[in-house]
Amino acid sequence: MTNNDDVLTVSGLNVAYGESKVLFDVGMNVRSGQVVACVGRNGAGKSTLLKSIAGFLKPTSGSISSGTTNLIGKPAYVIAGMGIKYIPQDKKVFSDLTVRENLELGSYATKDYNWDQVTDYFPKLTQLMDRKAGYLSGGERQMLMIGRAILGRPKLLLIDEPTEGLAPSIVMHLKDVFRELSKKTALVIVEQNLPLVCAISNKVYALKEGRVMAELTDREPVRPEMCEKYL
Amino acid sequence: MNVLRWWWGLLLAFALLALLRIFLPLPFANEIIIFSIYTMGCNFLLGRVGYISFGQPAYLAVGAYATAFYLYYFGTNAYIGILIGVVAGIGVSFAIGLFFVRLRGDYFALVNLALAVIIYYLMQKVLADITHGDNGLWFLTNLASTPVLDISRPDQFFIFAFLVAFVIWAFYKYIDDSIFGACCLATKINEDKLRFLGYSSFKIRLFAFVIANTTTALAGAMYAVYLGFVSPEITSPSRAADPVVVTILGGLGTLYGPIVGSIAFTGMKDLVSKVIGNWELIVGFLLVFVMLAGEKGIWGTVEPLLKKMFSRASVPAGVGDGGVKSR
Repeated sequence: MTNNDDVLTVSGLNVAYGESKVLFDVGMNVRSGQVVACVGRNGAGKSTLLKSIAGFLKPTSGSISSGTTNLIGKPAYVIAGMGIKYIPQDKKVFSDLTVRENLELGSYATKDYNWDQVTDYFPKLTQLMDRKAGYLSGGERQMLMIGRAILGRPKLLLIDEPTEGLAPSIVMHLKDVFRELSKKTALVIVEQNLPLVCAISNKVYALKEGRVMAELTDREPVRPEMCEKYL
Repeated sequence: MNVLRWWWGLLLAFALLALLRIFLPLPFANEIIIFSIYTMGCNFLLGRVGYISFGQPAYLAVGAYATAFYLYYFGTNAYIGILIGVVAGIGVSFAIGLFFVRLRGDYFALVNLALAVIIYYLMQKVLADITHGDNGLWFLTNLASTPVLDISRPDQFFIFAFLVAFVIWAFYKYIDDSIFGACCLATKINEDKLRFLGYSSFKIRLFAFVIANTTTALAGAMYAVYLGFVSPEITSPSRAADPVVVTILGGLGTLYGPIVGSIAFTGMKDLVSKVIGNWELIVGFLLVFVMLAGEKGIWGTVEPLLKKMFSRASVPAGVGDGGVKSR
């Protein structure tokens, strides 16, 4: 049942790569201000789910909608223009462009040139503005990708494995950033770092072999041991 | 302060061209300038958008024949002829781009080569009644004097071509510094990421394709006016690799590369051929050398040396302290 308050509603979603089916009747619901995490082993279909929502994969069946708008069949750039931004896990930025140019690309697309909101979350980017993004460390690239995505005040951020390969201090910083961001936008985070997931999430979907095995909601605090069995 | 600002390079490049006019024969100087414009389009397409095209002679022919048809059949004003060539370039590259920019890599290179072959045979055989086939269209005597600069005269054509090259160069400099230029580079680096940000990479590629090939058509129109003659030889598939070779030779994706490459290429063609019969052999060896020396081309190699000479090295703090460059 789609509610106008729902930022994202996924139901009965089936996705395949050629003959190989990856997602089976997946359902998900995200409301504004919610932080929703997807956990599961490698190959469980978490990234495929995010790519399908972002418009990079065409589902074989099922529905994906935001409010009353159907997202299936819409090109990725249109979905991004609607305020649903995908941040992939590979941390690849436009390496030949500077940090400033990377942010300008985000600003021009959204007509939002208020970079204070970015530098408030990530003050370090201020010092790196003229550096080519290819020379940034993994943590700095993640900051840049998130900073670029929050321009234009998106209604939903789809973040794929944001802490993978990052130093603990940066993970702690990102945790604080996600908490702050959730006051303005809904987040769907694919993550294997259970302490982080439990610290910031209102709801957790546990995926296994392309199926949603459990939906842990904030009726009770989400604890790591509740998710561990799905990893 | 970085002493070697962009206008220094611009002054150097165009001073070199002006010197060429003094020391070298006029036809040679004219050919270098037109070839520079021809190569600027290819350089943008290859260096900025990542499209390698072996079909640039097709767009050169579009501009040249559109201008030639006007000047042979309808009018005598060379300015109007060039304008018609540019408009034809916009129209044809937009119509073709709608289909071609969906392709990437080898397919894009080959489909453009196929277009050059099609246009070659269209002009040589199918439309021979109006193109006069291999004999070509001769309209040098049709050209009327034009106001301000009489471009029917080679010496004044040089000034006109020089100014046009300057404007085109400045236009590409502007694009390089613009958001659109960043978008073009972003499509080359990672097209998907650009879509994540809300950009239609198809529209960006199409726009870049039209800009690049309109520049090529402009060069074709200028060739037509300068020579007063157009034949199917202009779109010969055997010359399809020339702009790509010059782009790489000059320095891929650099703003001065097309000018430097054109001087080197045309210089070898016109001057070395007087001494050595097989000048293509020299170009071939030079290209192999350029590739082995680091794929930067002449300008790409010279530029850092000039920067070292004229300015203090300004490496950003922290580079090399663990940040790994990757795409």
